[in-house]
Amino acid sequence: MTGDLVKILDGNTFVVSDAQGDIEASLTDPTGLFSFDTRFLSRWVLTVNGQRLNALSVDDLQYFETRFFLVPGTGTVYVDAKLSVIRQRAVGGGFREQLTILNHDEKPVELTVRVEAGSDFADLFEVKDALEKKGMYSARVEDGQLLLGYERETFGRATIISASTPAELDANGLTFTLQIEPHGAWATELQVVTAALLGSGGWRRAGDVARLRPRPSMERSLHRWLAEAPRVESDSDSLRATYRRSLVDLAALRFSPPIAGGRSLPAAGLPWFMTMFGRDSIFTSLQALPFTPELAATTLHMLGLWQGTRVDDFRDEDPGRILHEMRYGEMTAFEERPHSPYYGCADATSLYVVLLDEYERWTGDRKLVRELESEARAALNWIDEYADLKGNGYVWCQRRNEETGLENQCWKDSWDSISYRDGKLPGFPRATCELQGYAYDAKVRGARLARLVWKDDELAKKLEREAADLKRRFNRDYWVEDGEYFALALDSEGKQVDPLTSNNGHLLWSGIVDQSKAKSIAAHLVGPRLFSGWGVRTLAEGEGRYNPIGYHTGTVWPFDNSFIAWGLRRYGFKEEAAQIASGNLEAAGFFDGRLPEAFGGYGREVTKYPVQYPTACSPQAWSTGTPLLLLRTMLGLEPLGDHLVVDPALPSSIGVLALLDIPGRWGRIDAFGRGRIGMERTDMRKGRRARTRAA
Amino acid sequence: MGDATAEFFDELARRGREPLLEKATGTLRFDLVDGKRIERWRVAIEKGDVTVSRKNAAADCVVRTEKSVFESLARGELQMLTAFLRGLMRLEGEGELLVLFQRVFPGPPTSRDKRRVAGSARRKR
Repeated sequence: MTGDLVKILDGNTFVVSDAQGDIEASLTDPTGLFSFDTRFLSRWVLTVNGQRLNALSVDDLQYFETRFFLVPGTGTVYVDAKLSVIRQRAVGGGFREQLTILNHDEKPVELTVRVEAGSDFADLFEVKDALEKKGMYSARVEDGQLLLGYERETFGRATIISASTPAELDANGLTFTLQIEPHGAWATELQVVTAALLGSGGWRRAGDVARLRPRPSMERSLHRWLAEAPRVESDSDSLRATYRRSLVDLAALRFSPPIAGGRSLPAAGLPWFMTMFGRDSIFTSLQALPFTPELAATTLHMLGLWQGTRVDDFRDEDPGRILHEMRYGEMTAFEERPHSPYYGCADATSLYVVLLDEYERWTGDRKLVRELESEARAALNWIDEYADLKGNGYVWCQRRNEETGLENQCWKDSWDSISYRDGKLPGFPRATCELQGYAYDAKVRGARLARLVWKDDELAKKLEREAADLKRRFNRDYWVEDGEYFALALDSEGKQVDPLTSNNGHLLWSGIVDQSKAKSIAAHLVGPRLFSGWGVRTLAEGEGRYNPIGYHTGTVWPFDNSFIAWGLRRYGFKEEAAQIASGNLEAAGFFDGRLPEAFGGYGREVTKYPVQYPTACSPQAWSTGTPLLLLRTMLGLEPLGDHLVVDPALPSSIGVLALLDIPGRWGRIDAFGRGRIGMERTDMRKGRRARTRAA
Repeated sequence: MGDATAEFFDELARRGREPLLEKATGTLRFDLVDGKRIERWRVAIEKGDVTVSRKNAAADCVVRTEKSVFESLARGELQMLTAFLRGLMRLEGEGELLVLFQRVFPGPPTSRDKRRVAGSARRKR
């Protein structure tokens, strides 16, 4: 795979092609037209008079639309520059491709234009894991359309290809025979529509399936999205560009599940995770709350709708549990994968309550909190009744689906993410530390909502009692005395899994850390073992499994860093929070404002630039949300009753920062800050008081 | 083999009020194809209050599937989303209502609620 793949997307439909606009996918290669976790085109190759084309330039017009300028011939010297070929492609229910050929010659030209088309109908899981298909393929020409099909028992998917001008169709593509006058042009529009076989009703085209109700046109929708978001004013060009990039990418990653009435929530990331994810949707909604609070409302609504109601070992479902991941492909349909939906995560259920409370604090929307009372109660109940596998008052994880379920049901979910200092892996169940923090926060926030909105004082008292008890035990059982930080997890014997990790930052965020221990945690987070200069590593240098390009064992995750910065602010460590914000935002500058899922944990002085993790997803929702949350932490935005407190602490690399028209229960408010905090950690002056005004 | 479909709907009717459907208001009709026969069940929900009938009347959400498919759903052997993705059922109308309604189907008969097992060993610290 090369770096110059071109991606356009709309919700969970996306096209990945090369710089010529062609698709030539192999089973293991994530190029093609994908929709609902199925590849609908794996071959899409344009030739003119039998010749492949050469790209002059590619214009990304919008996240859903791109334009390729091409000339016939390959190689660096253009043999025939008398023709120009323009492919303009827009995604949506499949894609449309406007194909234009210009003749620059004084003579007419006769051309044979061919578009090769084919599909392997691979499930995204098959592409990811390189698996073989079990059904039957077909290709036929019917009513002026080429219909590529795949059927396995009652499961059917199809790609329907047609053109707006006369073409010869065959099982492998379309051929146009044409003549263009001197200085003339020829154009056609190719339509690629995805379809699914549904019951005895026959084929249903995307559009019917994807959106039961029409959405406003994509362009208008993007325009409104950008217009409604707060504005950033700053002397830092890089910061303004990063903010703009984040807003556009977040719009692109909005995803309307088939049964959401046109509402959208953040999908996790391209290309593997364009679907509904519990944890990712919640974290991204939290990051985006000061900017686009409606994402949080939809996330709460949709995840509540699919909340677990029964015990199902295959899906790791329990009553009250919030889903981990939902998929729509063939392997899910045939239960070769459990994502229908899969519930195997131990954090999203607590985080659901956290998001509900944070949403109310920003928006004052008590109606939604009342509507979701039973879901929130069920979630709180799950923590005690189902997550406490050992009956000792902690949240544990152990999958019941031993074959295809997830082993580590926390955000660091790769196989070797949880290890002792010496690199050995503990057995199951495991109780990672941040799960306890989230559960604590869920109880504290649940108590606030119980008292304020549900008018249930008994529940509030019970939750507060439990939270205090959890905090007391946690600070005793997880504290690593000789390192002065919290253990990554407890193993099944109750022993500490003891390396130094970024999880400590999430503990600050959740508030479970005793005040007396916070200073030492903050020092670790910006200390040399964890802080690379760009950000906080997932696992500290010096630990047994530390590897600067280990997925969860040494890389820097921007999303992780944004919550660490929030945690540091929560405990008053403004300087440290600004240091982390500064490193991550400077890293974003190297990625054109688009932070990847993860980058290498190499020290900044070693590589001079952040090294992208090899197979990282990009754009990815919670990386996209990172600059947003960092803006919040730098400005020290915190709702207090009907007011927004602004307490800026900016790194000196940013001179001035204004965030204008921040939406919330106060209407719209502006926040201002000036850069004061030097990154050499010598000059720590108090940030200037912010001015605020109601709009 | 008994009629799991009839048991499922009878049980639903007997409960009358279903907390899992508190958010639901609307009507669903299940058209179950059994050879040449079509067995119809209509469920009217008013904020969790459930009425079941066999009326062939209009509904906000109409699901059409084989009787055998619904039998599997009612026994917890098949799950709604996989049935839908596999093309085993057709849906017309309000999808969200069906997402809410799928809450009341049972889990797989082989999965046991281990909560009470854990609960008995609770809090020994």
